[in-house]
Amino acid sequence: MTDPIISVKNLYHTYQSGPLQKAALVDITLEIERGSCSAIIGVTGSGKSTLVQHFNGLLRPTSGSLVVDGVNIKAKGADLKTLRQRVGLLFQFPESQLFGHTVYADVAFGPRRLNLSKSEVRTRVLHALNTVGLPPHDYAQRSPFELSGGQRRRVALAGVLAMSPKILILDEPTTGLDADGRNEFYQYLHHIQQKDAVTIILVSHDMSEVALLADQLFVLHNGRLVAQGSPRAIFTQDTLLREWGLMEPPLSELLILLRKKGLPIPEQVFTLDEAFNVLQALRTTQHERKNV
Amino acid sequence: MNTSPLIDIQQISYSYPLQIKANSPAQSLKALQDVSLQIQPGEYLAVLGHNGSGKSTLAQHCNALLTPTTGRVLVAGLDTGDNTQRRAIRDCVGMIFQNPDNQIIATVVEDDVAWALAVRGLPAALIAERVEQAMAAVDISHLRKLPPHRLSGGQKQRLAIAGVLALRPKCIIADEATSQLDPLSRREITALLHQLHQELGLTIIQVTHLLEEAALAQRVIVMEQGRIVTQGTPSTVFADVERLRQLKLSIPEPIALAERLRASGFTISREALTVEAIAREILH
Repeated sequence: MTDPIISVKNLYHTYQSGPLQKAALVDITLEIERGSCSAIIGVTGSGKSTLVQHFNGLLRPTSGSLVVDGVNIKAKGADLKTLRQRVGLLFQFPESQLFGHTVYADVAFGPRRLNLSKSEVRTRVLHALNTVGLPPHDYAQRSPFELSGGQRRRVALAGVLAMSPKILILDEPTTGLDADGRNEFYQYLHHIQQKDAVTIILVSHDMSEVALLADQLFVLHNGRLVAQGSPRAIFTQDTLLREWGLMEPPLSELLILLRKKGLPIPEQVFTLDEAFNVLQALRTTQHERKNV
Repeated sequence: MNTSPLIDIQQISYSYPLQIKANSPAQSLKALQDVSLQIQPGEYLAVLGHNGSGKSTLAQHCNALLTPTTGRVLVAGLDTGDNTQRRAIRDCVGMIFQNPDNQIIATVVEDDVAWALAVRGLPAALIAERVEQAMAAVDISHLRKLPPHRLSGGQKQRLAIAGVLALRPKCIIADEATSQLDPLSRREITALLHQLHQELGLTIIQVTHLLEEAALAQRVIVMEQGRIVTQGTPSTVFADVERLRQLKLSIPEPIALAERLRASGFTISREALTVEAIAREILH
C-alpha cells in the first residue's frame, strides 16, 4: 500500500484476565489507505467494534502494534488527545447523545474545548452544518429535539466533523433511517470523503450499503480477520460468507443464483446497470442463435 | 367476510401531544388520520412505510399501547379504550420491538420466557410446560441456561418472541423487529414469523420499511402521513415501483432489475418478488 493512514500489525486484544478472559481480537494485520472508504463487516460479537475502538485509542492492544496517522498507540506517552481529535467516532444511534439547547451549541461543544478562537469555532460549525445539509440560517438556532430522526443524526455527524477529523469512523450509521434519510446520508459521506479528504471507516451489517460505499472490505469472524478485498471480490464468495454468518447483497445473491443455473454472467458483474446490460446482451445472442 | 375480524380498527385518528418550547404555540402532531383496517384471524399482514409514516403508531393501537383520539379499536371484540380489558387484550396480541435489549428482563433465558406467566401468578407446572413449548417453537431450548447478554441479536429476538408465545396469544406484532439485526438473522426472524403463522395459525402483523420482508405476506398496506395510501397483495402493491419510491421506500435491487428487464421486453411475472422467483423468471 502506498500511503496507509492506519497500520495494524499482529494485534491481539483480550478482555479481562483470569478465568473470564476472552480473546476479542486475534492476530489482526491490516492497512487502511489514506483517503479511502473501508468497511469492517462481521456478525454481532465478531470483534468489529473492539477493533475500531483501537483506532482512536479508546482501547489499547494487549499485544501487537498499531500506528494511526503517525501516532503509535502502543507506545507509552502516546498523544491520545491529538489522536482523538484526528479520529472522529460516530457511535450507533448518535442522535441519543445530543444535549445542546440549539443545534449550534451542540455542534460547537467539541471545538470549543480545543482552545480555538471564537471565529474559528464559528467557521468550523458553519462548515460542518453546511456539509451535512442543515443550512445554519435555517437550523443553527433550532432545538435539536424538534428535528426529525434523520436530521438529528446529521447534527451528531456535524458535531464530529467540526473537530476536523482526518479519519471518520461510523458504527452502523444508517440503522433506523428510511430510504431517503439513507441516500442523503450517503451523499454527505461521499462529500466528506471527496472534498474534505477524510478517510472513512464504516462498521455495518447492511451489505447493500457496504457494496455501494466501500472501496475495501475487511471481514471479521470470531475476532480474526478472515478476508479482505473489494466488495466485488468478497461478495462472489457466497459459501464462505454463510460460514461467517454473512450474506452477499440481494443483487449479488441473484447473480450467483443465475450463474449456478448456467447463465454465463461474468464474475465482475456487480452493479444494477452492469447486470441489466449483461442480461440484455445475453438475450440478444440467444435470439440470434435461435434465428440462425 | 363472514368471520369477525380479530382486530377491527374503526376510523381512528391519533395525535401525539407536542411540547416544544414554552413560547411556541401548543401543537399536536397528527400521526394517524381516519384509518380503518380489519385484520382477520390467521392473516399475515405487512405494514410498510418510511420513518414517521405512522406505521408503528398504528401497530401500537392493536394492543392498547396507544388508544385512539377519535374512533375505536376492537381486539377480539374488546374495546382498547376500556382500561379493564387491557391485560386480556395484551394477552391476545403480543408485540416484539426493534431493540432486543429493551425487552429482556431476567438474567437467564428460561426465566425471561417465564416472566409474564409468573407475573400472572400461574401454577409452576403450567409455567414450566408453556416455557418449554415456547422455547422449542423458536428453537432456543439449547440456550435456556444462558444469560441473555451472551445471545446474538437474532437469538435475543427469538427470546422476545418466546416470551410472547408463552402467553398463548392469537396475534404477534413484530414492529421493525429485524432492523437492528444482521442480514442472515433478519431473514431467519422473518422465516420464523412465517413458520409460526403456518404451524400455530397465529395472526402476524409485520411492521417494516423493507419490501423484501413484505414480499411473502398475504396482504400489504403502505402508510404515508398517517394514512393507508395503498393496500393489496404484495404483487399488486409492488407493481407500481415508481409509487413506492415516491413513498420513500427503497426498492430491493433484484426487484428494480426485474422492473427494468420487463420494461425492455423480458417477460417476467409481477408475482416474482423474491430473489429465487426472479431468478426463475429470468431463466425460463
